[in-house]
Amino acid sequence: VPGAGAALRPCSSRVAQDGINKPVIDRIIRVDHAGEYGANRIYAGQMAVLGRSSVGPVIQQMWNQEKNHLKRFNELMVAYRVRPTVLLPFWNVAGFVLGAGSALLGKKGAMACTVAVEESISEHYNNQIRTLIEEDPEKYKELLQVIKQFRDEEQEHHDTGLEHDAEATPAYSVLKTAIQLGCKAAIFLSERI
Amino acid sequence: KMAAAGGLQRAGWRLWRARRAVVRCQQYPPLCALQASAALRAPSDEHKKEPWASSSQQHFDSPPAGHQPEQKPQGPHPSYTGQGGQESEDYESEEQLQHRILTAALEFVPEHGWTAEAIAEGAKTLGLSVAAAGLFHSDGSELILHFVSECNTKLSELLKNEQKLVQLGQAEKKPIDEFLRDAVEARLRMLIPYIEKWPQALSVLLLPRNIPSSLTLLTSMIDDIWHYAGDQSTDFNWYTRRAVLTAIYNTTELVMMQDSSPGFEDTWRFLENRVADAMTMSNTATQVQSTGEAVVQGLMGAAVTVSNAGTSRAVR
Repeated sequence: VPGAGAALRPCSSRVAQDGINKPVIDRIIRVDHAGEYGANRIYAGQMAVLGRSSVGPVIQQMWNQEKNHLKRFNELMVAYRVRPTVLLPFWNVAGFVLGAGSALLGKKGAMACTVAVEESISEHYNNQIRTLIEEDPEKYKELLQVIKQFRDEEQEHHDTGLEHDAEATPAYSVLKTAIQLGCKAAIFLSERI
Repeated sequence: KMAAAGGLQRAGWRLWRARRAVVRCQQYPPLCALQASAALRAPSDEHKKEPWASSSQQHFDSPPAGHQPEQKPQGPHPSYTGQGGQESEDYESEEQLQHRILTAALEFVPEHGWTAEAIAEGAKTLGLSVAAAGLFHSDGSELILHFVSECNTKLSELLKNEQKLVQLGQAEKKPIDEFLRDAVEARLRMLIPYIEKWPQALSVLLLPRNIPSSLTLLTSMIDDIWHYAGDQSTDFNWYTRRAVLTAIYNTTELVMMQDSSPGFEDTWRFLENRVADAMTMSNTATQVQSTGEAVVQGLMGAAVTVSNAGTSRAVR
């Protein structure tokens, strides 16, 4: 904080895991945690509407994997002492509404939502993997492993959605673009606040 | 890459300080040379305390009229960027020097307050010229922020050591309310030697210029306390808990300013009550939530029963 006049670093009292790039790791974990939390709520919304339909088991299985992802990020968040995003209550509601809303458009609508979201998330994880590799692949080995594994699983969800006729949804491209824009905004905000 | 970036950063920092030295030049000509030389001290400069003191005395004693203050450097000094950012082992950075001056100044705060006088006295004990106080703002902001930062570091150390003892099995793990109470008390006790002048410090910390730094120091201290208390929340509770503890800390601090009881026992009793209130509130919140959930389930059950009754009547 140069504006304070003297060359004081007020946060020198906080000792993070030595040598890691705290701001970068903070952002990564915060936004990923928010993402998995949102994904959980989306699947919860979809299950609320389509739980008893034929795609119920498929959605349930994807939801279970997201629950594991969230659990893992909860652990990482505590380990790295990262602050969660303030917007969590908002993502709680917005995720559920998106899931339930897309499910009300029918099974294909729910799958379209899944495809859109999972595509956004995979791209986002790929960006993070690139960032971490640029920083120091050795230092962040564990985190890289986690993100790579999750990216692969999200990619699977994306493919599952396509298999279940996501593209046959009426207004598929409009729906997909809108959802992906929303995801980009969510990622932007969650990284910062 | 990182070393070069660090070297450039330091060079840029020094250029910024040199420019600040020019601004001050216009206000305090006798301090000019001191400022400029401080800003321009090359990394390879081995001379520290004695020559610094003697050269500054020289500049201070010579008449301002005949004295040509050193102007701003012509550009980034080749010596620091040229050396690749490597510093000799016994090089004392500007930050370290300021740190030492401020630490020495704390001793004089009870007498002089958080002022340039205290800093000047501190500088004197280190064998530096009193003009060194010109390195800092006249309202004592840096001194106060330095003090707060030091207290927070001490608190962190204390909590870390306590945690180690618990992990080694040499101490009992405290219940949360006791832990929070003890941590806040330990931190507030660090103010006791300076308690007379602390209200002045609080008002300086609230100056708009200082708010970002003082807020950061406060939030990181509160986060530290919760971390060692074992907080592992990853939802909105993270914010709620820190907000509650910040409120407890701030109000207790204010009570302490007005407290004239022996050993500040009124303050500690106030603190105990506030922490107890917070625990009660959190228990109540949990109870309200489970009651709410139970009510919702009851209503759902009632709705299902009614609809079943309706369909069975329709069948009949």
